[in-house]
Amino acid sequence: MFNGTHARIADLVQPGRVHRDVYTDPNLFELEMTRIFEKAWIFVGHDSQIPGVGDFVTSEIARQPIILIRHTDGSPRVLINRCSHRGAKVINEQSGNAKTLTCLYHGWSFGSDGKCLGVTMPEGCSPSFQKEDYGLSNVARTANYRGFIFASLTPTGPSFEEFLGPMTANIDDLVDRAPDGEILLDAGVHRYIYRGNWKLQVENVLDSYHVPFSHASTVNKKGQQFSRREGDKGGAQVVDQEKKKTADSWRGRRSYVVDFGHGWTSNTQLKDNERSSPAWDAYKESLASKVGVDRMEEILTPEFHNTLLYPNTSIMGLNIHVRVIKPLAVDLTEVNVYPIRLKGAPDEMNFGNIRLLNVTHSASSFVQTDDLEAFRRTQEGLRSRQNEWIDISRGLGEEQADSHYNATSESAMHEMAVRAQYSAWLNYLNASN
Amino acid sequence: MRWLLEPNIRPGLIILMLQTKMDQNFFISAEDFVPSGLAGIDREPFELFLILEARLLDLRKFWDWKNLYTEEGVYWVPASPNQKDPYKEASLFFDDAPVMITRFVWLEQPRIQIKTPPSRSVHMVSNVIVETADNEAGEYLISSTMSMTEYRQDTQRIFSGYQFHRLVKTKDSFQIRLKQVNLVNCDSAFEAMAVPI
Repeated sequence: MFNGTHARIADLVQPGRVHRDVYTDPNLFELEMTRIFEKAWIFVGHDSQIPGVGDFVTSEIARQPIILIRHTDGSPRVLINRCSHRGAKVINEQSGNAKTLTCLYHGWSFGSDGKCLGVTMPEGCSPSFQKEDYGLSNVARTANYRGFIFASLTPTGPSFEEFLGPMTANIDDLVDRAPDGEILLDAGVHRYIYRGNWKLQVENVLDSYHVPFSHASTVNKKGQQFSRREGDKGGAQVVDQEKKKTADSWRGRRSYVVDFGHGWTSNTQLKDNERSSPAWDAYKESLASKVGVDRMEEILTPEFHNTLLYPNTSIMGLNIHVRVIKPLAVDLTEVNVYPIRLKGAPDEMNFGNIRLLNVTHSASSFVQTDDLEAFRRTQEGLRSRQNEWIDISRGLGEEQADSHYNATSESAMHEMAVRAQYSAWLNYLNASN
Repeated sequence: MRWLLEPNIRPGLIILMLQTKMDQNFFISAEDFVPSGLAGIDREPFELFLILEARLLDLRKFWDWKNLYTEEGVYWVPASPNQKDPYKEASLFFDDAPVMITRFVWLEQPRIQIKTPPSRSVHMVSNVIVETADNEAGEYLISSTMSMTEYRQDTQRIFSGYQFHRLVKTKDSFQIRLKQVNLVNCDSAFEAMAVPI
């Protein structure tokens, strides 16, 4: 067990393998919270979740409660959800609207910028008491890219622009699909939980290798997955049944990584232009009427399949959604999957997305459930101390520089993306305060 | 409302396409729903139907369960307590005929990880109330309470809630136009579930 006496944390991450402690050790988990989640830029919500002044949603960064709220000046503010007096959580709801935030315990009240507005029975405060000193803390830094709001608990470190780097293109790829150029995260949320480490879900997002096996139950006798998108005439060819192996079109997928552990898988299967249904055709028309036919064709040839913004946010281009992975304990993780509505698209099209996301990524879905079972069994298997190492060596040394994306690329059937995540993990964990 | 199926249904080639939606008042706003409880109607045939419907799930006779539905019948489990319909927000289940077929083909696959081993369940149905009855059209809305105890690999969990059935009379029984289950904990984070509730 890791107890701080490891000569170096770096010993846990070696070429092509990582030590089981990174999934099982509670002390390392606490270090991850302070050195990764308190340092990185963390997705805290989307503009569309708080359209009006006073609208708020609550969540956590590194398990610490925060409030994302629309201030009177229109800007989104991220406040620490902890009364400056005795520490109670000020907002108890998951979402709502409040002009002032009032603590239940002794009635202190705060504005949507965190400023302390009033203290009950102020005559009891010490003569030197200044309510200006007792606001709800704002997080150190916030940033917004096309409606995606991020926060960092640390005042120093890489800027948001440095952190996000070329991943803006992945966000653009999704947002541009909306005829009005805006997406809406206002269609509820799928919440699921599993008894396993948070990194198991993070690694899975860019793992194309598991699909023909973990999700074997979702393909038919010809190796084709069920159709899972509005207007699809059939799902992706995952397995080549005649040759008894992973289908060529699936094997051709590439994965890409950049700094900070971010990455994505390429799109060889989406063929959005070939989809057809009344809802899909109406959507194409609405998109073309806003951006022109040429640009529509370009947008409907999306480049990205799955995207990971390390440490804990993913964007899926197939069944479009935003996913947030919330570590609760070393062996317990909650995942929130937000369906996306494309602003300006016909209602039927947006419903098509919501409906099929139920089928692929709800707690009762056909695809996600197999992954959750894999995470649970991995966590149980890793109790074994007879084999201390997890192998992530597929394709080690076959990484190639990709000048088009200014990224590093390899077959998505390999494990480069996981290795890149552990490289970022090491950088975070080795950095001194 | 009409769902389209490929003429020859094969797993993997099921077209999950939406044409039109149910009427606005088809689904039940569970939070606002006040039971009326029509007196003078024999509850026994309805009660029996609900008990047998639930028993089919416990017996894992999923195709028989599907056959209880009309061609356009739907099974809906909302993901929030005040959800008005499945069209604007995420749902725990929203299974129409094509999704049901895909689900039950899937449940029969040998390599379904989440069901090796499969779960076992016991349903209980109680507090059955005939809410509306149109004897001429043979259409009924029934409300009841349900609980499902599910057991798999040393873990037991309980789902419970209110359920609503829109039934239509057939020659000697009923068919389901809607089964809606409003779980008391519908907006919590769930571990994986795979079989209907």
